[in-house]
Amino acid sequence: MLHALILASPLTPLEDLLRDVLKWLGPHGTIGLTWAWSIVALTIIVRLLLVPLTVRQIHSMQNLQRHAPQMKEIQKKYKADKKRQQEELMKFYRENNINPASSCLPLLAQFPVFIALYLVLKHFPHEPGDNLEWLGLWNITDKASAGWGPVLVAVYALSQLASSYFMSATAEKSQRIMLLILPIVFIPFIINFKVGLVLYWMTTNLWTVGQGLITRRLMPRPAAPEKRSSRTPPKEVATAAVATEPAPAPAKPSQPRRVKRKKRARR
Amino acid sequence: MRVALRAPTYLGLGLVHAWRWSFGLLSRGSCKYHPTCSQYALDALDEYGLVRGSILAGWRLLRCNPWSRGGVDYAHDQRLFR
Repeated sequence: MLHALILASPLTPLEDLLRDVLKWLGPHGTIGLTWAWSIVALTIIVRLLLVPLTVRQIHSMQNLQRHAPQMKEIQKKYKADKKRQQEELMKFYRENNINPASSCLPLLAQFPVFIALYLVLKHFPHEPGDNLEWLGLWNITDKASAGWGPVLVAVYALSQLASSYFMSATAEKSQRIMLLILPIVFIPFIINFKVGLVLYWMTTNLWTVGQGLITRRLMPRPAAPEKRSSRTPPKEVATAAVATEPAPAPAKPSQPRRVKRKKRARR
Repeated sequence: MRVALRAPTYLGLGLVHAWRWSFGLLSRGSCKYHPTCSQYALDALDEYGLVRGSILAGWRLLRCNPWSRGGVDYAHDQRLFR
């Protein structure tokens, strides 16, 4: 309640803008969608505006994956000192012209949009007699705990899980687990939101999933071939040596080498 | 007395902690700076008070965008205020 009061006034312009777009999309506007579908359309518009940003993030993510082996080495080297580890990683970024994938501002920028939409949907600009249903199951002005609402919340939680899965492609294991648990923790709060807001959240998550699927298909992860190439050289050298010189002598030194490698891997 | 004077700062610190324990949890590990923006905000508020700390934290958030380079950046090393 307090944060709503503090944020209400600076958010008014954003709120007005969102309301205007929603009205333009809505049943009395130019496009003439139902209110529920205009929320979906509004979400898609917001996400479309963010696409250039996402493309940039994907590029830097690939760059990051290309340098993954070296970064892992740094992480291993400063395993005991987390602070030093972070600092060394940052230095490595700077030296190799890497731009870490994500940053705080875009994430935080979505937050005011969400709150503004919450406020817009609270005093929804509908007229009596408007169709407020979505797929005949949900009324967007209802609480998500009413009627079929929990089903929508479940779908939302699944979409959140799926989008977290794509978002956490480079995150650490412990963080990934956190990302998977949180949607479930959020359910008791989300069930008290209005269906319209859950609809927005669900749509934005599904968009993230779609984006993730497309980018994965278009750009196969560079990390996998990198890994292979870092392992294959000794083998290639060995096979090349065998191929060019049929004598068994040069093949011999490669065998103890392999044993050593295995031992290192076990440690 | 000192605690009373620092009350506004505690409000700011409380808000950052509230963020960290709610939506911040979803966006963990996404800051390109070290320390992260929220840690920077806590440090800045603690050292420079609510007004200057908030300005520093806000400026840091604006810098934490897809076009910046990131890096090591402590609140203590700020050059906005003397």
